[in-house]
Amino acid sequence: MLAKPTKNRHLITLIGCLYLIIHLTACQDDHLDKATSRYEFVAPSNFPAPTYTFYNNSITEEGFKLGRKIFFDPILSIDGSISCSSCHNQSLAFADNPLHPVSVGIDGLVGTRNAPGLANLAFNSEFFWDGGVTHLDFVPINAIESAVEMGEEIAAVVAKIKNDAEYPALFEAAFNTTEINMPLLMDALAQFMLLMVSDKSKYDAYLKGEETLTAQELKGLHLFNEKCESCHSGILFTNQGYFNNGIDSVFSDSGRANISANPLDIGKFKVPTLRNISVTAPYMHNAKFRTLEEVLNHYEHGLISSHSLAPSLVQANGDLGIPLSIEEKEAIIAFLETLTDYEFLNNALFFKE
Amino acid sequence: MKNVQYFLFSITFLLVTFSACTKDEVETAEHGQFSLNFDNMVGANELALTEETNNTFPYENEQGQTFNIQTLGYYISRIELTGPNGEYYEDEVTTGPMSEEVKGFYHILESDISTHLLTLDNVPTGTYNQVTFTLGVEADYVQQGATGGVLDPANGGWLWNWDAGYIGWAYEGRSPASPAVAGTFNPDNSVKAHIGGWKEITGNPAMTNNVKRITLDFPSSADVTEGGNPNAHIVMDLLEALDGHHQVDFSTTYAIHTPSAGVDIAHNLETAFRVDHIHL
Repeated sequence: MLAKPTKNRHLITLIGCLYLIIHLTACQDDHLDKATSRYEFVAPSNFPAPTYTFYNNSITEEGFKLGRKIFFDPILSIDGSISCSSCHNQSLAFADNPLHPVSVGIDGLVGTRNAPGLANLAFNSEFFWDGGVTHLDFVPINAIESAVEMGEEIAAVVAKIKNDAEYPALFEAAFNTTEINMPLLMDALAQFMLLMVSDKSKYDAYLKGEETLTAQELKGLHLFNEKCESCHSGILFTNQGYFNNGIDSVFSDSGRANISANPLDIGKFKVPTLRNISVTAPYMHNAKFRTLEEVLNHYEHGLISSHSLAPSLVQANGDLGIPLSIEEKEAIIAFLETLTDYEFLNNALFFKE
Repeated sequence: MKNVQYFLFSITFLLVTFSACTKDEVETAEHGQFSLNFDNMVGANELALTEETNNTFPYENEQGQTFNIQTLGYYISRIELTGPNGEYYEDEVTTGPMSEEVKGFYHILESDISTHLLTLDNVPTGTYNQVTFTLGVEADYVQQGATGGVLDPANGGWLWNWDAGYIGWAYEGRSPASPAVAGTFNPDNSVKAHIGGWKEITGNPAMTNNVKRITLDFPSSADVTEGGNPNAHIVMDLLEALDGHHQVDFSTTYAIHTPSAGVDIAHNLETAFRVDHIHL
């Protein structure tokens, strides 16, 4: 009588073990999937192909977290006072505080241009207002070596990181080498910035049929397509070109001509994305406008003529500007506000650890 | 059925054996070394660096402007050797963040004698009479992003940050002809020529690509043999770089820090290199 229950017990134990093994494996798989997808770059299906060289810098959890630590670390500046996050604030779509219309660096020194937001950088082919940098890896060096931003030499940054108590182990975990150098530092920062994909605005939900726009927002969308879309085109809301949009006729900052050496490019600046635009005030390269109302007023009646003014801002009769009524401007602003991605602004992935 | 199986097995066996043989043959082809020795000169004179505070000016350009030299250097990349009978060697070029991944880029610095001699390994044996190389770093490599080794600015690499790319050739010195106006870029009669720029944009002729592909004939051919190491003694003549197709006037040209400002010197550099002689 003892034998049978024992046999059954064995069988039950066996089934139990099998169940546990399967269950445990399944759990691990789920866990792994989540971990992988969190740090994996996924281009939204309606975005253009990314331009970043992922083949020589693929994102890992360790690399991303290392980049995040560096992003928030003032070790990058000569006096330990300025970090990337000093001018790139997540709650403002990684743009600068409106109290800093142009960058404020070491010793309270001020720059000459407004720090742009950081989002969807994997899809950009040129960076900065003049497009002088053509690869995301080289972007942070400018802020580090600028005399009025971080004021530090890249070699000195690498030396400080090599001598730091925490960084060497983190670099080794991220890149599987004891070498610490400028490219690995930039690769880590790039991994952090590459995951800053902003594609969850109300407008994105509308495109997917998940949300509806109000009548006012729809009116704004149609007006936008009619009057703004030639430059702020496509799903990234920029044609990535350079134009003089009539901010001035005397150019203390030559803009694109600094890079292209073409006199016809004097006063031209990169067309910025409009994603998250309602939280990235002030506007324009020199932070001339505090509000979107001021920006639209500028396009309607404030343009200043000069030899390189964008032809699209000159009407057929020779008048400058884009005709817009007060109601039309209100509708366009209502639409622009649907481009704010609150999930991105609040994504804990980018929080300082 | 069994016969077919044997047949297929034999064919497979033969194919595998045959492939193995071909591979072995390639691997056992004879190889030797070939060296390039870069020697910087000022016309017929040896080139010597001085301190920035030194007020002696031992060299003179064609306009009679005297000058001295504090810094001289350049990047050589993508080296090829060719011979009259189809001999061909291509130096391996690879990039990556780690220094051991970066191959085929050489930062020749007058101040560091260890950078003057490049030894190319695994050159197929044969006769060679021409070398081709790139002066500077080409677009394809700039666009790989941050790169280690001699291209790492934290390791002495010459990266231009504001117009991202590499300075392909640079001379820094002083000349009494240069204005004695102290400024950010030009303290005390200094002359600085940083030649960079790799971009080309259709429709914008001002966008300057100063990277040069240079081919030099050997004055006599060089036989690469197993165990041998012939050497091409290459001279870079600074006077040719300053006076070749365009004469550089230090009173007006003393601060070259953009691609467009470097066009004339970049053009001069096309003919500033020569293979002076071959050591066998």
